[in-house]
Amino acid sequence: MQRTVLALMSAACVAVAGVAATSSVVAQEKYPSRTVKIIVPYAPGGATDIVARLIGEHMRQDLGQSFVVENKPGAFGIIAIEEMARAKPDGYTLMIGNVSTNAITPVLFPKKFKIDYVKDVVPVTRLVDIPEFMVATTKDFPPKNVKDVVDYAKKNPGKVRYGSVGVGSYPHYDAALFAKRAGDLDMVAIHNKAGASGVINDLVSGDAQFAFLNVASTAPMIKAGNLRPFALVNHARLPDYPDVPTMDELGYKGVGTIAWQGLFAPAGTPPEVLETLFKASVKAMQAPAVQEAFKKQNFNVVPSKSTAEAKTWLAAEMDAWKKIAAEVKIELAE
Amino acid sequence: MEFLSNLALGFSVALTPANLVFAFVGAMIGTLIGVLPGIGPIATIAMLLPLTFHLEPTAGLIMLAGIFYGAQYGGSTTAILINLPGETSSVVTTLDGHQMARNGRAGAALAAAALASFLAGCVSTALIATLAPPLARVGQSFGAPEYFSLMVLGLIAAVVLAHGSVLKAIAMIVLGLLLGLIGTDGNTGGQRFTFGLNELADGIDVATLAIGLFGISEIMANLTQRESSREPVVQKITRLWPTGEEFRRGWPAALRGTALGAVLGVLPGGGATLSAFAAYALEKRVSDRPGMFGRGAIEGVAAPEAANNAGAQSSFIPMLTLGLPGNPVMALMIGALMIHGIQPGPQIMTERPQMFWGMVASMWIGNLMLVIINLPLIGMWVQLLKVPYRFLYLAVLLFCAIGVYTVSNSPAAVVMAAIFGVAGFVFQRLSCEPAPLILGFVLGPLMEENLRRALRVSGGDPMIFVNRPISLGLLIVALVLLLIVALPAIRSGREQAFQE
Repeated sequence: MQRTVLALMSAACVAVAGVAATSSVVAQEKYPSRTVKIIVPYAPGGATDIVARLIGEHMRQDLGQSFVVENKPGAFGIIAIEEMARAKPDGYTLMIGNVSTNAITPVLFPKKFKIDYVKDVVPVTRLVDIPEFMVATTKDFPPKNVKDVVDYAKKNPGKVRYGSVGVGSYPHYDAALFAKRAGDLDMVAIHNKAGASGVINDLVSGDAQFAFLNVASTAPMIKAGNLRPFALVNHARLPDYPDVPTMDELGYKGVGTIAWQGLFAPAGTPPEVLETLFKASVKAMQAPAVQEAFKKQNFNVVPSKSTAEAKTWLAAEMDAWKKIAAEVKIELAE
Repeated sequence: MEFLSNLALGFSVALTPANLVFAFVGAMIGTLIGVLPGIGPIATIAMLLPLTFHLEPTAGLIMLAGIFYGAQYGGSTTAILINLPGETSSVVTTLDGHQMARNGRAGAALAAAALASFLAGCVSTALIATLAPPLARVGQSFGAPEYFSLMVLGLIAAVVLAHGSVLKAIAMIVLGLLLGLIGTDGNTGGQRFTFGLNELADGIDVATLAIGLFGISEIMANLTQRESSREPVVQKITRLWPTGEEFRRGWPAALRGTALGAVLGVLPGGGATLSAFAAYALEKRVSDRPGMFGRGAIEGVAAPEAANNAGAQSSFIPMLTLGLPGNPVMALMIGALMIHGIQPGPQIMTERPQMFWGMVASMWIGNLMLVIINLPLIGMWVQLLKVPYRFLYLAVLLFCAIGVYTVSNSPAAVVMAAIFGVAGFVFQRLSCEPAPLILGFVLGPLMEENLRRALRVSGGDPMIFVNRPISLGLLIVALVLLLIVALPAIRSGREQAFQE
């Protein structure tokens, strides 16, 4: 019996260790006087993680303190946002999030938050945004441009399949909004939890036929002839793809997402700390190594003009998503 | 002889002094973090990622790859010595590896694991060099119906894994499937069994489950034994090296494991894990002493170790040629390439032959280095078993907690691992094997996702599974396996084997 108790205690110790890991202690001095934590709402290796690590490294060089990236994936970013929002608002806990985690999630799932996103989170600055292609597979899919897709879908209702990274993700909304604006096309969503690479595989194998995906990840398959870019979602055409028209040019204004990434802090962070972070992050994006890495990925560097402008930008983004969610009614289980 | 010129190019890149150093550093770091059950390759590679900004991409990749398969080696060390699989792919190694250690054959088990991995490394390097382009196409021809059928086959093969009762094995697989259902439904966004907890919205991490079911429950089981009965592990150590008999049994098993691993590893998603399980199941089928499995059969160590190493290496093929990460480590590698503006894709072999073939060649060199690093260390690892258990278990518990935490920096995961520890302990008392549960857990969600995707593609027509030739073939194999298990004559023979 005693030994069984001992055995159970060993499991209990592990549980206690887990609970204890949540708390932390803080002391105040001139900012930054110790390591700054940047929470990323994704597992290591993705675009958001890479941006955070690149910028963190250059902010360290500028401000003289380490900027450590901590990955807190899960629940569409809610876990990361809540952890950041609950931290002491002293500038030592930040977050780099993107359009999905920091605009779409709060718009679609406000009830899932145990915090008030609008009140408890402030943007420091927008960082980069990422152009997107509407790409189609070359496997058993005749259309050669956007107009063809519309005609083909009208002739084959319920037969055209578009790829998405999940219900309520922006590639899902992009395709659904496109279908709606093109005349209530009847198409099927094929979701793949494995992210952009999973959707690309679905396209190449023919399971899905078109999708809205970022330019950099589709480029190799376009080059190999497995995918065809029909339209671009960006501020302007890309030099590498002069023949691919933008969705705006094709008359689909506002269809498609130019996915962005931004730096966020808990509300109540002192203005002077926000200002320091704003200046350092904008400066980090101007570093030649960062510029070069971003250019290779087709990232547009689009910092906010000030922390105040960042606030109006985020509010406008969330409004835009509210409108899209109202226009395209995607059924979401609560 | 394109194959030879490719390899020559590869070795000319991999054998430059700088790249040799990077391969060595990677293999060394990988071995160390693999042996420490707490720190996995994901956390390590993530931390080292900024460092690779400043490296030449090939060198960076060689080092990261070294860490990856170094950790696979190290992970099997803990699986054998303390029944703690470092990764899901070494779960199977615990079955017979740890039993060997208990029989005083820890050294032989470690040597078998190292040598089988090296053999697999050599063969699969050659295989990648010759077959990379066609293998990449196999990955491309796998759509949702093919994956579904493969998963069906995998699950049916898992029944063969069971030690004793087939009924219990099926129960554990179903329990694994159910645990795999936890999380967000991919097609509706609905929450399943999450009880409103955001921590469960993405499901349970497989490392949390494995460390709880195997590592923590093992500690609990040991603590319930009398102090005196915990010690004999040490006294029984006779010789470190495998006997001639063990060699004779081990090497064909390793070869079969390699073949399975190299093929299944190409498939993105669970390739290395599936191949380790499949290799074990196959060995048990072809063995002349299936009753020995689960009691310290060297084939049960050599085959899955060979399979997971071959699988790990061939998982580089979909990563590099399709940009498809088969596991989180591969996702990190893609991240490392992204920083240098390299997008993995079908063109990578022609556009960057130095990088591609340099890496292939460095895999072989890395494997050689791992054998050189690890074989002399076996004696030292075995000494570890002499540490009094009252010290050892505290350290292991601590590393378990760290390991679970670092997977997604989640305190909730650590609490879950503790709960699974208790569950694993109960399973052990009921003599239910946790290995089939893990397989059900890994394959279940993939099977469901692909089933539903296939039906969406076909517009709800289930004939899609028999109309596609690859899918049909896989289903037929599954059916044949099912018949073999179900046939009464064979089944009675099977049960006899367990009775002795």
